Amino acid sequence: MESTQSSSSTSLVDKLVCPGDVVLDLSNLTNQTIKLGGGLYQDCDAISVMKAGKLRFSKPNKYWVESSQKRYVPHAEDSVLGIVVDSRSDNFLVDIKGPSLAFLPVLAFEGGTRRNIPKFEAGTLIYVRVVKANPGMNPELSCTDATGRAAEYGALKEGFMFECSTGLSRTLLSSPTCPVLEALGKKLSFEIAVGLNGRVWVNSASPSTTIIVSNAIMNSESLSGAQQRIMVEKLLQRIQ
Amino acid sequence: MEIERPDGRSPNQLRPLACSRSILHRAHGSATWSQGDTKVVAAVYGPKAGTRKNENPEKASFEVVWKPKTGQIGKAEREYEMILKRTLESICIRSIYPNTTTSVIVQVVHDDGALLPCAINAACAALVDAGIPLRHLAVAICCSVADNGYIFLDPNKQEEEKMKAFSYLVFPNLNVSALPERSSQKGGEPTAHGIITSVTHGAMSVDDYLHCLERGRAVSARLSEFLRKNIEPKSSSESSKAG
Repeated sequence: MESTQSSSSTSLVDKLVCPGDVVLDLSNLTNQTIKLGGGLYQDCDAISVMKAGKLRFSKPNKYWVESSQKRYVPHAEDSVLGIVVDSRSDNFLVDIKGPSLAFLPVLAFEGGTRRNIPKFEAGTLIYVRVVKANPGMNPELSCTDATGRAAEYGALKEGFMFECSTGLSRTLLSSPTCPVLEALGKKLSFEIAVGLNGRVWVNSASPSTTIIVSNAIMNSESLSGAQQRIMVEKLLQRIQ
Repeated sequence: MEIERPDGRSPNQLRPLACSRSILHRAHGSATWSQGDTKVVAAVYGPKAGTRKNENPEKASFEVVWKPKTGQIGKAEREYEMILKRTLESICIRSIYPNTTTSVIVQVVHDDGALLPCAINAACAALVDAGIPLRHLAVAICCSVADNGYIFLDPNKQEEEKMKAFSYLVFPNLNVSALPERSSQKGGEPTAHGIITSVTHGAMSVDDYLHCLERGRAVSARLSEFLRKNIEPKSSSESSKAG
C-alpha cells in the first residue's frame, strides 16, 4: 500500500498547488491512516486543496499546504503573541489577530488562584498558548504549558513588537535556526519571542540593537539563506 | 466568418491579461486584474467576527463593496455587487469559519468593457492571496453576440455599444489531479466543465447562448492557466511587497 500511495502523491509533493487540486485519492489507500494539516480537506474519496501554497509531506503520513498569510487562524497548541484588549471578572480578552478575540481565563497561570490574579492593563503584550480553537467559538488561551508550568509564557515587558506574515514567523521558529537569526545572534545579544500568528517581539540592552534586529527580520522574508546572511553582514558593518 | 474587430483581434482572442497580487499593504489579500484597458483592484479584509443581519450565522458570509471609478454607486453596480457576492459564496468553503464576515472591496480603475468578469477574476485572485479556503478557483469571461449572430469574446467598450446581447460566464478552473485514473474519469464526466454563474443582458436565441457557452468554455482553459501561473511565483510577489 505504501508504494502505491507514495507513487500517486509524489507528483505534487513540494510543488505549488491551487485551490481545487486533488492531491490524493483515498480509494487507493485501504489500511492506511493519513493526517491532514492546514489547507487540505476531504471531499468524499479525494483530498483536495483549499489554499494556494506548497504541498508538503512528512513521513509517514502527514500532508499539509504551506502558505503565508497576513491573517492568523487559531489552532490548538500554537504559541502566539497577544495584546490584552479588556479584562473581565473571569477572563482577559486578548487580540491574537484571529477572526474573534480570544479568552484568557484569569486562573490559567502557574499556581493561579482567585487571590493572585495578575493585573494586565489593556495594551499589555503577552506570550500565550492556544488551548482550544473551535470554529464558532472564541479561542481559549493559557499562560502555562501542558504540564501547568509557566515556562516562558506571560507578559513581555519593554522591547519592541512588529507584525509580519504567518509564513515568516513559521520560518523564524523552524529548526535548524533560521539563517537571519543565526547571523544576528553571532554578533548581537537580544531576546526574541515569535508568535505563530505573525507577531514578533524583540528586546535588547540598547534600542539601536532592537531596531537593527527587527529591520533585519522584516527584510529577510523574501531572501534565501545566503542572501539573509549577506544582508545581516552589511547591516552590521554599517553600525561598526 | 472572419470579421474585423476594431482592434484587429480574432473573435476568440482575448485582450492581454495582467495580474499582480499583494499590492496593498494593509489589506489581508489584494490583487489587480486587467484585461486590455479594463483594470480592477480587489482587496479582501477578514474573516472578521460576526455576521450581518439576515445572514446565516452557521456559515461564513461575504460582503462585497463596489467602488465605481467616479460618482455614486447606482443600480447596475448594486447588481454587480450581488452577482459577485453570490459567485464568491459558491466557490468558498463556507462551513470552515462560521459566523464570520469577509469583506471584498472592488475598485474600478478603468472600464473598457467586460468589467464584471474582470472584477470576478480580480476578486478570486485576491481571495487566494488572503488564504480564504476555496473549493476551486473561478474564471470569468464575457461573450457578446452581434446583430448578425457572430460571437465575440472579451469585447471592449467600443464593441460593447454595438452588440445586441452579452453573457457573463463564470467557470471553475481546471485543476491538477494527482491521480491518473481520476483525470481520465474527469474526461468522461465533465466535473471541470460545470458553470458557476451565468448572467445575460439583452435578447439572444438559445442556440446563440449555447454557442457562447462552448466558446467561453474553450477559452476558460487559457484563463485558468494564466491564473494558476500567477499564483505560482509567490516568492516574487512577496518580494515586491516586502521591498
